[in-house]
Amino acid sequence: MTRRRLRDSLDLCYIYCTGSFTVTAVVALFTGMILALNGGLSLQELGQESLIGRIVAVSLIREMGPFMTALILTASIGSGIAAELGTMKISEEIDALRIMSISPVRFLILPRLVALTLVTPVLTIFAGLIGILGGIFVAHFQLGVGWMAFRNDALEALTLEDIQTGLFKSVVFGVTIATVGCTQGLLTRGGATGVGQAARRAVVVSFLLIIIMGYYISWSFLT
Amino acid sequence: MIELKDVHKQLGGRMILDGLSLTVEEGETLVILGRSGTGKSVTLRHVIGLLTPDHGEIEVLGEEISHHKPEILRKVRRRIGYLFQDGALLNWLNLADNIGLPLRERRAHSEEEIQQRIAEVLCEVELDGHATKLPSEISGGMRKRAGLARALVCQPEIMLYDEPTSGLDPISSSVINGLIMKLKEMGITQMVVTHDMKSAFEVADRIALLHGGKVHALGTANEFRGSSDPAVQQFIHGNVEGPLAREFREDPGADSLNNEESEES
Repeated sequence: MTRRRLRDSLDLCYIYCTGSFTVTAVVALFTGMILALNGGLSLQELGQESLIGRIVAVSLIREMGPFMTALILTASIGSGIAAELGTMKISEEIDALRIMSISPVRFLILPRLVALTLVTPVLTIFAGLIGILGGIFVAHFQLGVGWMAFRNDALEALTLEDIQTGLFKSVVFGVTIATVGCTQGLLTRGGATGVGQAARRAVVVSFLLIIIMGYYISWSFLT
Repeated sequence: MIELKDVHKQLGGRMILDGLSLTVEEGETLVILGRSGTGKSVTLRHVIGLLTPDHGEIEVLGEEISHHKPEILRKVRRRIGYLFQDGALLNWLNLADNIGLPLRERRAHSEEEIQQRIAEVLCEVELDGHATKLPSEISGGMRKRAGLARALVCQPEIMLYDEPTSGLDPISSSVINGLIMKLKEMGITQMVVTHDMKSAFEVADRIALLHGGKVHALGTANEFRGSSDPAVQQFIHGNVEGPLAREFREDPGADSLNNEESEES
């Protein structure tokens, strides 16, 4: 990878991070709150609400964090990549690159692939932490679980394997979103309708792949 | 310098090129005329290797390119400039960066040389002073001229133009025609696809009229003007009735073939 492509990748990292930061924070915060509220109320009936820390932390780090981040990035970045490359395809910009002997794969796809592979785990960690924060608030103010009790329970339950599983998933999801978005963009045919269809297909295919791969990754780590 | 031998190409279930044979000599400017959907742009796309013929051979700059070998295509394309209908500029780069892109990617020039060359070609297409503008901030005519500047920046041996004056005001058209004439004087081999008869007669050494997937008529501008061929006269004068209109009515899908996608990855 040349220095120029690396710089393109880092520029895209910045764009993708800033473009998804707010929505990821809001979704993660409320997901953590919902998890804590639902789990906590059920546990409260059994008098076990002090275990809410582990449920929120393990769910968010291992499963929900990578999953919700991937869905957000699919909707916001993956569809955008498909639409951007699709528009370039129908306006002959991809052909122009080929004619200039510039490989569209190296010039357009590689920086997007590298950027999403780097950004997805970073946003996943961020989403996990914000989600746990949301869970702590609900646990403390609505379930009456102390800050320290939540923290201690979460830390006791979380293992290195949970973190590795979450990060591994996020990397796989990042590669998937970029690959599907770029492929659908480059396969665009027709005019504006074709661009819309490419963006829609990118979202649908990525969603399906993320769900299916998410299950198999969890299964392979758990067994 | 450019030779197409018995080229056949079917797109969308319709035979677009049906045994097209055409030669462009070194330093010659050949204008290709024909109704929409008769394969003018498809012919240009074959010459640059964006499309592969179903049958036939294409030789450009002494290299056989119809088999799409990537190394040969890369080598040949570096010596060819191509002007797209709408310029095909990358929308996130300003004009200077768009024009300098092929030079920067080749990494054969210093940044100072690249800047100097960008300034030269911007001046040639009368866009000096617009270097920092994005493609979305300029008119269609300016985008086309910027596309021409990008095609010229690497000093190509062959220039291919896909409707260089369509949608331009008369003055911008004259600027483009002037540039084609200037390159002609410099000995650059050129192929121009156009519907603009004024431009065609002004710049052409020879004119080819495509019809039925083949070259229907080929000759100098004067030979074309004086031709007794009803198809040639119909096209020059834009008559509704004639052999070209009859064929078009029989094939209403012809217009949709202009935007057929490239095959090469």
